[in-house]
Amino acid sequence: MSNNRIKFILNSTVKEVDFNTSNFRPSTTVLNYLRSFNDTKGVKEGCAEGDCGACSIVIGELTENNSIRYYSVDSCLLFLASIHGKQIITIEGLERKLENRTVLHPVQQALIDHFGSQCGFCTPGIVMSIFALYKSNAYPNRNDVVQNLSGNLCRCTGYEPILNAALEVCSNLQPDHFDANEKNVVKILEEIKRKQASVIATAKSQVYHLPETLQEALEIKESNPTVKVVNGATDTAIRQNKFHEYIEEILDISNVSEVKLLSKQGNGFYIGAGVTIEALKTFAKKNIPTILPMLEVFASHQIRNVATIGGNLATASPIGDLIPLLMAHSARVELVSSNESRWVEVQEFITGYRKNCLKSNELIKGILIPKVDENVTIKSEKVSTRHQLDISTVSLSARIEFEMEAVKSIILAFGGMAEVPKRALKTEAFLHGKTFNRETIEKAMEKISDDFTPISDARASAEYRLVAAKNLLLKLISG
Amino acid sequence: MNKSPNHESAIQHVTGKAVYVSDINLSSDMLVGRIVYSPHAKAKIVSYDLKAALSVKGVVDILDYKRIPGVNQLNPHKNDEPCLAQGEVNCIGQAVFLIAAKTEEAAFEAEKKISILYEPLPAILSIEDAMEKGTTIAPPRCIERGKPFEVITTAKHVLEGEVKTGAQEHWYLETQAALCVPGEGKEIKVYASSQNPTETQEVVADVLGLNANEVECEVKRMGGAFGGKESQGSHFAAWAALLANATRKAVLIVLNRDDDQKITGKRHRSLSKYKIGFNGKGEITAFIVDINLDAGMATDLSIAILERALFHAENSYYIPNISITGTAWKTNLPSNTAYRGFGGPQGMAVIENAIDRIARFLKIDAAEVRHRNFYGIDSRNQTPYGQTVEYNKLYTIWDKIIAKSSYFERRKLVDEFNTSSEFIKRGLALTPVKFGISFTTSFLNQAGALVLIYKDGTLLVNHGGTEMGQGLNTKMLQIAALELGVPLSKVKVNATNTSKVPNTSPTAASSGTDLNGMAVKNATDKLRARLLPCAKKMIASKYSFEPMGEIHFENGEIFEANNRKKSITFEALVAQAHFDQISLHATGYYATPGIHFDRNLGKGEPFNYFAFGMAVSEVEVDTLTGYSRFLRTDIIHDVGDSINEKIDIGQVSGAFIQGLGWCTTETIRWAKDGRILNYSPDTYKIPTIDDIPLEFNIELLTDAPNPKAIRKSKAVGEPPFMLAFSPWLAIKDAISAVGNHKFEPTFNLPANNELILLSAEEIRSKMKNKKKK
Repeated sequence: MSNNRIKFILNSTVKEVDFNTSNFRPSTTVLNYLRSFNDTKGVKEGCAEGDCGACSIVIGELTENNSIRYYSVDSCLLFLASIHGKQIITIEGLERKLENRTVLHPVQQALIDHFGSQCGFCTPGIVMSIFALYKSNAYPNRNDVVQNLSGNLCRCTGYEPILNAALEVCSNLQPDHFDANEKNVVKILEEIKRKQASVIATAKSQVYHLPETLQEALEIKESNPTVKVVNGATDTAIRQNKFHEYIEEILDISNVSEVKLLSKQGNGFYIGAGVTIEALKTFAKKNIPTILPMLEVFASHQIRNVATIGGNLATASPIGDLIPLLMAHSARVELVSSNESRWVEVQEFITGYRKNCLKSNELIKGILIPKVDENVTIKSEKVSTRHQLDISTVSLSARIEFEMEAVKSIILAFGGMAEVPKRALKTEAFLHGKTFNRETIEKAMEKISDDFTPISDARASAEYRLVAAKNLLLKLISG
Repeated sequence: MNKSPNHESAIQHVTGKAVYVSDINLSSDMLVGRIVYSPHAKAKIVSYDLKAALSVKGVVDILDYKRIPGVNQLNPHKNDEPCLAQGEVNCIGQAVFLIAAKTEEAAFEAEKKISILYEPLPAILSIEDAMEKGTTIAPPRCIERGKPFEVITTAKHVLEGEVKTGAQEHWYLETQAALCVPGEGKEIKVYASSQNPTETQEVVADVLGLNANEVECEVKRMGGAFGGKESQGSHFAAWAALLANATRKAVLIVLNRDDDQKITGKRHRSLSKYKIGFNGKGEITAFIVDINLDAGMATDLSIAILERALFHAENSYYIPNISITGTAWKTNLPSNTAYRGFGGPQGMAVIENAIDRIARFLKIDAAEVRHRNFYGIDSRNQTPYGQTVEYNKLYTIWDKIIAKSSYFERRKLVDEFNTSSEFIKRGLALTPVKFGISFTTSFLNQAGALVLIYKDGTLLVNHGGTEMGQGLNTKMLQIAALELGVPLSKVKVNATNTSKVPNTSPTAASSGTDLNGMAVKNATDKLRARLLPCAKKMIASKYSFEPMGEIHFENGEIFEANNRKKSITFEALVAQAHFDQISLHATGYYATPGIHFDRNLGKGEPFNYFAFGMAVSEVEVDTLTGYSRFLRTDIIHDVGDSINEKIDIGQVSGAFIQGLGWCTTETIRWAKDGRILNYSPDTYKIPTIDDIPLEFNIELLTDAPNPKAIRKSKAVGEPPFMLAFSPWLAIKDAISAVGNHKFEPTFNLPANNELILLSAEEIRSKMKNKKKK
């Protein structure tokens, strides 16, 4: 099946990496891959953890209807083997030669006209992020631009000129050379996929599986119980970058289409484990408004484009943004192995600090979010140092089922207050059956300290966490 | 001519072709350098063994202090910063060994194999601790006028307090980097990311035991610096140079982000105590302030930074009786260093917060109190150190910004909003800035240039300043083009290089354009004077008339003022001049005249002039979570006659947002053992595009030519940083609204969501207690 190589398009050139002869690992980041060549050094490393966007590039990916979907990613969090069958667009690919002259892409020209670069180091990443927005044909407003560029830090400009450049250029969309070349790219990518759908790459004591089907993935998992499963890899890649932890065997399920389902199912919504946060966000706008606020402040646009709900759940992080939210929705998780499938509640799924209940032969297939009944209110609030591109200091996702004015049932799921996302059971018990008003809430706030003893860390003090957690209850009724 | 030509590197920036140190394309046998640093805040080095590490495949050499051929010193002025630790370490992050390896992975492996035994010692990790133990880096400094201690006892009202300001990480997008290439014999070439090529050259020469003429330092551009590469950029060059010298191969050091945040210096934390006396109108009669800075483990630039803090303790206000004292304390943290504002922000924060208190105390609007205390135009215009505040723009700007921002109308709207909203509160604040321009170390106010005209009529400008994004090269290009009357397209600015312009001052103190612009002009003046007789001769012979009037050089043409059409081209003139054996290159030099300061007396005229600006900001605070968002900021800032308006506006917005970060989300915490906790962007939060004011209006003050600087312009790099006190105090105003402005909120800097929430909670509990009583 595999011949230990991957094929992709870099800007407009078909490239192949043969892991038998190259110096790269399958998990070499695309950033390091690009920077090893003199003609693609426009991409910059600013932090190697997806927190600055200087390494942003754009991926062109085949869609079901034979066109290309363009989206921005942090190349520092992207494994080389994972780009098989995709188009990688870097800053070098944006300009084009017309006779003897170089013509800049409208996005590049807009940034120049608005004085959107000062030191220039973040600029290639900024250009790529605006380019992805430009290619989404979205005619964005200010808020859309902010959402799309919140993953690109700039320390010089104060952003105002960048914001204005993006707004202007995206309100005046012109066909570009990517449109002209799109059919050709589609043809090449289809050809690559047809010849080699899955990848098994082996190099430098590392095996990288990039299967196409769930069946393949489960077989790999079954026969390699210790394989590290990645689905977006935004967490795993950081550890490699920072601690030089090279994982021996990686199972990347980001190409498995069976885990990308996103549909209404019975009395709820089924979300495949491989659904990206950005795709879920778009879906939630129309279908699950109660999860939208959390998705809008989830990491950055680049990370939302690749990070998946399955990945976020599997990390079982105490400050994972979605786990308390899923707990409040009484969501259930579908776990599958080669021979069986089972369902568990989200809270059963999390078993400890960064631990989950997956058996060694299992993968998360999807998550079922039941529809919210009319007598149920769900609210969530994330408190972080910064609004965008930050992890929760404290978060609360609450579900309150009312019977008349009284609380019939309640879930108060907190993030950042313990070693795992955790319900405030004592506070819940106190509120049970009581009228949900200011007076009861104020009394309930006193119970929070019975439920939690938070810690002080780089993000905040224990005192702040406790006060904020109490106040989040008050916010349930004050808007 | 276009008032705002684009940044000269704009095309390179947006196409990814701009070259930074880590992009330089050299031979494939270039090595990577890695710095092995101390994990202890203070410790004795008992013993170490490098054998196992040296045997790692791909490792070429590992150096300790014994392998330094020259002096083991990074600070040639103060001699208190060893290049590599010898016997002891004094902060986490102090360099101990240097590894040269073929790959980063090999270097990383080798580091793990170094065995070293430390004996940890008690460390000093806070200003308070240093004050208790008395560990200063230099004797305290003082500026005094009038009888502050006497007047404070008789003042109608006196408020007393303390203000803490936090450390700030520079977070330049390009981390510290240096590439050193050994040349013939002992020669070495340094490609640095440094604001200070000359000092880099000197430090490299010192550690290698070379003469200055054997070391060449080049700086093409930096990916941001903000002061962080003024003194400390040279350290990385010294380390790369030692490895390059030992291996005789090119060595590149590029810090990863975490290491950069862990081992480099920050903006100095400060702890200031004050007493302020005032009358019923809010007029300040006496101010006594004691400023304490956390210098870290070595002197670095702390003395000059402290000095600037002292010079700005009164900001824009005339205070008849004033005592400003300051001390820089030695602690076991990486040596703190220059950062945009250079102590000014720490100095100003105190008076701005104190005036805010006065306003709350007297129930007078704070903008009004500020206005009442502004420096006068003809009287009340002497600074505490005896310099007259000339060309005072404070009143002009105040009038304009009050109108532009509808300050008083919005004050009412904010108050109305707050009465009807229990937990979401809004705040509004106006703050001014008056910032002294010049290096306060007077001799540094000098610059050089070398302008070359080639036979084809194109210009190559060399100057001593460095480009870090601020647009200095664009302005130098504009100045040279204007002075010699050639189109911008004919001028190029060269990478800054110590072999072209020697003995330069750092590009710092906002002075880059003032100093280097004058030096460039001095060179172009010489060239113009040399070309003039030749031009006259050519016009005379071409048009058969004797040009008696003034000769103009404009847009590539040379002509007599009254005979515009009878012109010759610049190219023809240059070609002729070469035939006539006229030298077509000239050096330029400039030293700012008339500035001086006596550090012992605390008196003098340290500044060439002052820059002024003002901001009005409105903020909305969620007092249940501490989250703040900025609704609107209006800025009017004085840059004299702008050389490049768009670049200047970019400096204002960039500085303001950087200041906003310092005042709000950028928080650094340390563990009890001195480890920095916020060492990556994961937990250290600079502003994103989402954090800028929803409405952000920046205007440059018009009709305000500055007679003291090049082309009547003004320096702009640092002053607008301090305009961020307006959102800072707007936050305080919003917190204060929780208690209907009856209680003084606990307030420091940064006003992060933790401070906001806990301060609001404190007021809420005070109110509850009051009700109970």
